[in-house]
Amino acid sequence: MAEKGRVSPPKTAERLGRMLVVVPYLVQHPGSSIAEVAALYDVKPEQLRRDLDLLFMSGLPPYGPGDLIDVEVDEDDRVWITMADHFSRPLRLSRQEALAITLRSAELLATPGLPGAPALASAIGKLRDALGPDTAGDDQAIATAESGRPAAHLATLRRAAHGHERITIEYFAGSTGEWSTRDVEPEEVFSAMGNWYLAAWDVDADDERLFRADRIRGASSTGVRFRPRGLKGAGRALYTPTGDEVRVRLALRPGARWIAEYYMTEDPVERDDTTLEVTLPAAQVAWVAGLLLRVGPGARVLSPPEVIEAVAELAHSTLARYR
Amino acid sequence: MEPLERLLNLVGLLLETPTPLTYEQIRDTLDAYRADNVDSAKRMFERDKDQLREFGIPLQLVDTDVWGAEQGYVIPKDEYYLPEIAFTPQELGALLVAAQSGGENTPAEQAARKLLYGADGGVLAGLAGGPLASGSDARSVLVIDAADAAQRRRRVRFGYRTSHGQVAERVVAAYAMVFRGGHWYLVGHDAERDDVRAFRLSRFTTDLDDEGEGGEPPDGFRAADHVQAGPWAATAQDLAEVAFSPDVAWWALGSFAGARQTGVDDDGWIVADVPMAEPALLASLVLQFGPDAVVRSPEALRAEIVAQLEAIDG
Repeated sequence: MAEKGRVSPPKTAERLGRMLVVVPYLVQHPGSSIAEVAALYDVKPEQLRRDLDLLFMSGLPPYGPGDLIDVEVDEDDRVWITMADHFSRPLRLSRQEALAITLRSAELLATPGLPGAPALASAIGKLRDALGPDTAGDDQAIATAESGRPAAHLATLRRAAHGHERITIEYFAGSTGEWSTRDVEPEEVFSAMGNWYLAAWDVDADDERLFRADRIRGASSTGVRFRPRGLKGAGRALYTPTGDEVRVRLALRPGARWIAEYYMTEDPVERDDTTLEVTLPAAQVAWVAGLLLRVGPGARVLSPPEVIEAVAELAHSTLARYR
Repeated sequence: MEPLERLLNLVGLLLETPTPLTYEQIRDTLDAYRADNVDSAKRMFERDKDQLREFGIPLQLVDTDVWGAEQGYVIPKDEYYLPEIAFTPQELGALLVAAQSGGENTPAEQAARKLLYGADGGVLAGLAGGPLASGSDARSVLVIDAADAAQRRRRVRFGYRTSHGQVAERVVAAYAMVFRGGHWYLVGHDAERDDVRAFRLSRFTTDLDDEGEGGEPPDGFRAADHVQAGPWAATAQDLAEVAFSPDVAWWALGSFAGARQTGVDDDGWIVADVPMAEPALLASLVLQFGPDAVVRSPEALRAEIVAQLEAIDG
């Protein structure tokens, strides 16, 4: 058998890593069910059973019957582990793991409106105290600068998503600058790039929509329940092209280059005079015109003519307010 | 015997041993290393040892006595075990949810799983319906490496694409990481420019190369001061008076940090005092609302806006 173990397959490492964290949990929580622990540690129940079968072959010298770890699984699949004092606490967090969870928490804490933010902040504080700055980083080396806007109705949105309840929202569409009242079926509230979003089914449009939570002015319940469709929330693209966009060719000077990074743009061409040309697919001409007004002399529309005209018209009507 | 069983026994043995054990002593104790072929057993032990160390297990080779005549292996308990941390259930729940926000089986999630062992019941129940997030736009490995470099004050070399589109190499003494507006930045001393700069991680074109020791940040260093707010944030003492149409007022007032409504016109327009850090910045923020927002004062800001509009209007 020793020969067969010549090259430990990578699976062994994975299993070992799991054992060193699952066994302490089982020691501390006698009578936990296989299903519960499998879910908690994201492992298949059969695999967990196989791991436990191996566990009671191991122990401490001299490896007599009284020295081996005792694993008992009853008919209800509940687990008891004894004689495993040396595995009653898990392996310390590696530097990489400690930094990863600290960084991830810092990202979340930078988004205003995070539920449980004080708990998360104090948890990270305790973790840093326990592991030391060399492992988990310190306040100076990992900093956050809060940004973005707080959203007024996060709690209502979360409740609706959690309880599968259709709600009526009053929404400000950034692309058109218009308010509308819509019935939506919220499925997930998530944060991305410093803002909160709602992934929901738009009943009026009969389609999936993504709403910026800070643009929702009113949210009221309807009492109607719905069956979730499994819409994707966290990790999804924040903008999905429909193919009907106006393709706007822009010339961007250095002060306006952020447009190429902030929005999804195509076909970049560098000009010698530090100008970058890109194509910005835009769902609404009015939105591009507003963007151009905001950027001012840093950006210029090359095509199509209708957008050039829209920008000039918007500038003209705005100018009229100053005369 | 399965490799896993052998490794578990080895960890247990070296954790519990009162004195460091030589390889010979280990072999005498653990059947697994008593193979017929002495050389292959020794090789197997070497591989096991490496594997445990790769796993972050502090397996050490130390002198067995004060004379240093012999060395043996041991896993010091105080370096192996996670220290006791008294998390409240809310804290633990928040950590778990935070860890899961970055996708599956990430180092952050592994970290959270290790912290679970002492949790009171009900942790599972607390997980449902929590906040989820996509986090930042940079590769998580790069973020961790950069944070590591900042914490240990290392000097790093990397490829970087500037906002002007050019790709160039940078050598930076890493000081800190800052998260702002959905982006991670590495703040540090740029060798070529001889100044403190911020580098956005999503613009890194390579991984980090370690170039040795870096240095300490200057006195009074505050990392966040070196990361420019996006073109959409403003903080300042000077105030501008801006009127917004009823259509955009609610949204607009929330867009300006520190804006305060001061009145309502007869036609329903909302008048507000808005902090003005940089006139050009405020001008662009007001202009995005087109004819739905008008600056009333100061005159200089009005002039700036009119000039910009005339340039476009032609």
